[in-house]
Parts: sequence; structure tokens; C-alpha cells
Amino acid sequence: MTTQSSFVLFPLGDRRFALRAEDVSELALPGRLQEFPHTTALLSGVILRRGRIVPVCNIAPLLVGPEAKPGRFYLMAHTSAHRGEWTAIPVTGECELATCNAASPANYAPEYVTAVLARGDELIPVVDLAKLISGEVH
Amino acid sequence: VKRGEAMILFAVASYTFAISASAVDEIRSADALQSFTPSPRLRVPEVRHTLKRDGKTLFVVDANLHFRLLPSRITRVLLLRNVPIGIAVNETHRMTEVSAVYSLPRAFKGEERDWYRGVALIGEDVIPVVNPSAFLDEEQLQRLQLEIASERSTKGATA
Repeated sequence: MTTQSSFVLFPLGDRRFALRAEDVSELALPGRLQEFPHTTALLSGVILRRGRIVPVCNIAPLLVGPEAKPGRFYLMAHTSAHRGEWTAIPVTGECELATCNAASPANYAPEYVTAVLARGDELIPVVDLAKLISGEVH
Repeated sequence: VKRGEAMILFAVASYTFAISASAVDEIRSADALQSFTPSPRLRVPEVRHTLKRDGKTLFVVDANLHFRLLPSRITRVLLLRNVPIGIAVNETHRMTEVSAVYSLPRAFKGEERDWYRGVALIGEDVIPVVNPSAFLDEEQLQRLQLEIASERSTKGATA
């Protein structure tokens, strides 16, 4: 079964992934990353964005491996767990807003992949950020 | 968000932290620190020194160890108010008033939720505001005090 919705497609290395458009607020140039000691996996620090303190969550090593290139832009997104807060996701290039049909993922897909988008020959996993991040934390 | 508070800024390794000035009684040089090796069964590896003050023993937490950082040179000790605890730090910078302390973003889920009361904005810098009660809890303090008392009585018996 497929359903048509809007998604933000973003590159990480040689691959593309997608977030539901309603979870994304903007694409921004990287601000100054500010770091302090912590023990939460994936978080690299915080940036200041429009007067907000926004945690930066680097999901690239999880999705494309440890050789992932540094992010050129930050995708500002909500995780469903923290609706009122943004999380900055470093991505390696420009993003695309697309309205397309989402298909159910394969049975063997990781739990954080909630759907798959078919764009020509390309299959783009739709990622649930909260599941991806909490899976790593626990 | 808590508004308008005097803070002491201090450094540990390459990081700057803030602590409420009202939580600090005194800042001392680290010259008077006495080496202390707590028994592993006490489970307080962050305490590496003691300090004598008015005849009482204060337990000094190495902030590098507390924040899981690599060792860096200790030059100052922040003595906390109303508790026999000191915090050994790289250096103290200055006192400043922060307009607000903001909650730590909820994406932070680890020990830092205990380490920090929140974060302060000082100019364009986001500075973690430490939670003074996270350095040693009541139980750890009691175990340390018992250890010191036991050391004293052993020394007294052998003298």
C-alpha cells in the first residue's frame, strides 16, 4: 500500500534519506558548534539558531558508516519525542522537498525506517529520527 | 528559565563552565591540597584530594574525572557552601551575571542531565551551569567521612 505525502530528501555521503516534511523546519548553514562534556551518543554539541539552543545530532555514522563526510548544512528537525525542540542534523548537501508515494519498508529494514520512497531507480528510506536516536542511546 | 543570577566561570580542560556564585563559599589555590586515595569499595574515584579548613576535612572532587575528561592541570579549588566538598578545576575566570539559565535540551539524555542545572548564554557562548549537588551525594560523603575517621583511629592506635 502507498500513500502520498511530503518529504524532505537529504544527502548523507553518496546516499539520500528522507524525513517527513512536517518534521523539518529549515535548512541552515552550519553555525558555530559549541561543545561541552556529555555522555549522550550521537550528539556533538549545540548551536545557537534564532535565539534557540539547538542540539546537533550527527546521524551520518549510523546511516552511512564511520567514514561519513562532515555536514555542509544543518537540517533543523523535530523528533516526535520532543515536539517543541529542534535538533540540527548535519547533511552533506542540498535538500529537496518532494511529494511522493511512500511504500512500506521491507521486513528486514531497521526499525527506524518507517517507509521507502521510489524516485526513478533510487529507493530512499524515510527515517524516524526519534527511533533512530533512541535506538542508539539504548 | 531562571533569570538574573551571579555566576563564577571556571575552566576544566578546554571547556568553560559556570557555577552559581551563591553555591561557592571560597576559591582557594590548589597548593594546599593533600593527596587522598579512597578505597575502591567507596566508589568515589573522582575524589583524589582533601583539604583542611577550620580543622575540618573537605573532600575535593577532580572536575576532570567528574566530567569524564582527560587530565588537565589543577590550579584552583572551589569550596562549596554548606557542604565539605571542593571542586578542583583548571582555573577560575571571572564572575558575571547571567540573564537566564535555560533547560538543557531534552536530546541530552546521559549523565549530563545530572551534571548540569541548565545552560547559560554569555554573549554568543553557551555555557553549561553545573549542578553543585551532583559532585558528591550524601551517601558518598558519609562513606568518605567514615573512611577518614577510620584512618585517624588507626593512626591513633599505632601512635
